[in-house]
Amino acid sequence: MSEGLDYKFLVETFFVALSGVPTALFITIVALLVALPLGFLLALTRINQFPVLDRVAQIYVSFVRGTPVIIQIFIIYSSVPLLLASIFEKYNIEMNVYDVNPIWYAFIVFSLNTTAILIEVFRSAISTVSKGQLEAAYSVGLTNVQAFRRIIIPQTLVVALPNICTATVNLIKATSLGYALSLQEITLRAKVAANVGYNYVEAYIDIFLVYLILCSLVEYLFKLYEKRLSRYRAVGI
Amino acid sequence: MMLEITNIHKSFGENEILKGVDLKIEKGDVVVILGPSGSGKTTLLRCINFLEKADQGHAIFGDIDVNLKTASKKAIHGIRQKIAFVFQNYNLFNNKTALENVTEGLVIGRKIAKAEANEIGKKALDKVGLSEKYNAYPIELSGGQQQRVGIARAVALNPDIILFDEPTSALDPELVGEVLTVMKQIAKEGTTMLVVTHEMSFAKDVANRVIFMDAGVVVEEGSPKDIFVKPKEERTRKFLKRVLPEDYIFYI
Amino acid sequence: MEKYFDVSYIVESVPMLIPFLKVTLMVAGLSVLFGTILGFILAAMKIGNSKIAKKIAYGYTTILRCTPSIVLLFLTYYGIPAIADNFGVNLNDIDKAVFVVITFSLQFAAVMSEVIRTSYESIDRGQFEAAVCVGLSNTQAYWRIILPQAFVVALPNFGNSLLELMKEGALAYTIGLIDIMGKAELIIAGNYNTHALEIYLALAVIYWILSIAIEQLFLKLEKVFSKGKQVITTT
Repeated sequence: MSEGLDYKFLVETFFVALSGVPTALFITIVALLVALPLGFLLALTRINQFPVLDRVAQIYVSFVRGTPVIIQIFIIYSSVPLLLASIFEKYNIEMNVYDVNPIWYAFIVFSLNTTAILIEVFRSAISTVSKGQLEAAYSVGLTNVQAFRRIIIPQTLVVALPNICTATVNLIKATSLGYALSLQEITLRAKVAANVGYNYVEAYIDIFLVYLILCSLVEYLFKLYEKRLSRYRAVGI
Repeated sequence: MMLEITNIHKSFGENEILKGVDLKIEKGDVVVILGPSGSGKTTLLRCINFLEKADQGHAIFGDIDVNLKTASKKAIHGIRQKIAFVFQNYNLFNNKTALENVTEGLVIGRKIAKAEANEIGKKALDKVGLSEKYNAYPIELSGGQQQRVGIARAVALNPDIILFDEPTSALDPELVGEVLTVMKQIAKEGTTMLVVTHEMSFAKDVANRVIFMDAGVVVEEGSPKDIFVKPKEERTRKFLKRVLPEDYIFYI
Repeated sequence: MEKYFDVSYIVESVPMLIPFLKVTLMVAGLSVLFGTILGFILAAMKIGNSKIAKKIAYGYTTILRCTPSIVLLFLTYYGIPAIADNFGVNLNDIDKAVFVVITFSLQFAAVMSEVIRTSYESIDRGQFEAAVCVGLSNTQAYWRIILPQAFVVALPNFGNSLLELMKEGALAYTIGLIDIMGKAELIIAGNYNTHALEIYLALAVIYWILSIAIEQLFLKLEKVFSKGKQVITTT
């Protein structure tokens, strides 16, 4: 180690780490596609104090926010196969639970996790849109669905966007825990490369750089989008 | 008879706001409701448009005949299509331009073609003197301009009646005039209007009927002259004495 | 055949895990302490007039925000001894908890610098002007008027950040720290990797209760300290 960094390895492994980006992004996108609509709907049940569902959502959010993601991963990873095994057994399905691609577990964990985060994000965002907006929509003859689609959701989205951005960046970072599912994402790929010659420092510098680039890029894109969406909030003519 | 409301009741918790109000409005009427704050004027307006659900009461609106408490979603939607509402704090859609605010109900609610809706919307904005502001967002407009967009939004729907809920009370005093001018103009064009306001001059000059409400009931109603010059009820006299300048009587 | 799922494992593992909560809490506590101090320095750099200091502080926050805890943890764990080695210092025998505390202090500082900055900026400039007008010195105005108000604003965010830190801290087991999570891994290994689910559930329950307790504590604190705040929000 005293001979300093192995620059050749550093450069090579950077691309190894980079090759894990599609996996990380795939998980992120699937989780967001599930969590955005589900989070919004559950936020509505919280706001309207919909019986039972409201309570269930509240406990669910509390659990997800109150426990480390890594433990959530381990719980899903050790419980879902047990469930699947008993289902396969019961219906005589010829399939080994260990043949299930681990990315499915990642989809489940991160979708569930992000949904809980977004429930809270949407809940506070919806409450910033005044009730008068909904009343005005009704008064010009819009139905409930129309009012939400055209007036409430666009306004909620602008308010929620910075927090959705944070949630997305956190989600991308959390995919680094995919190692626990033996997922071939950024961290695991680089780490495996380092195992050969114990070049851990170099490997983690590479991993660090890849996340830095990826997350900065995502933040930048969100800022651009926010600017476009929030034209109507700009003061001045 | 265009709109007839009978025996409307509404409570918020223990607090009974409306205690059996009746109301009749003919086509072309400009009716002003006066009364101290907390008398139930605003609640009455909101119940007519189902922004609040009345506890009891009946409405006949043209060919629609409904119980205000148990009205179906469809009936509510049908009535709202015929009524327009102007809010105290404007409630313009923050994410839409002035023109989009006016056309939203036409395009989405009524399925009118966009080009046609834009024509109607521009005409309505021209009428309230905002030809220059089609593409301005609410945040770029003054309170008076926002309320004029609110009125244009109501007018563009070509409703059978427009309800005004204290349309000038959120405005700075110097901006009240421009909104009242627009209201007078559309009243002159024969629009049926039900107006809750504290602007006595508007009631005196524009209304053909004035209703005085207090503590959830209609105390007295009649022509502006009946109410302002020779009110029958003590409660009306007291109220007018409080809100009108002392030498007001000489101006009538 | 053995049962797939056995509740007794949950019940039995809890008393084995609880003693190691001490390690978890100590690591978290020290990280909060050092992280808050560093966070204050960074916030001062952000608020201050020096452009370079501003750039450095904001750059630091962005970089740390974009780095997963586990990556930072290993970067510290492998990186610091490697750097020290270059200077002829041997850090290989140092307690693993030190690396954990360093990692999470660095991370917490980035978060806290934003919490401190935004709560400072949320206090109306008029408060400072009024304080100076009634004869307080600048320092007095800061200490007696601005900071107490900023503290109340910062409190809920501080609580949230602390919870995040504690949860992220669970990753310390990956470098071999025996905190509550590390102990759970040992128990599972001792069971020949069977009944892992039960142990993880026990762990989740402990974390969950801890989180709720901390959350409630901060809600209480907020209530105690925000006596005068209602006046601010209603005006």
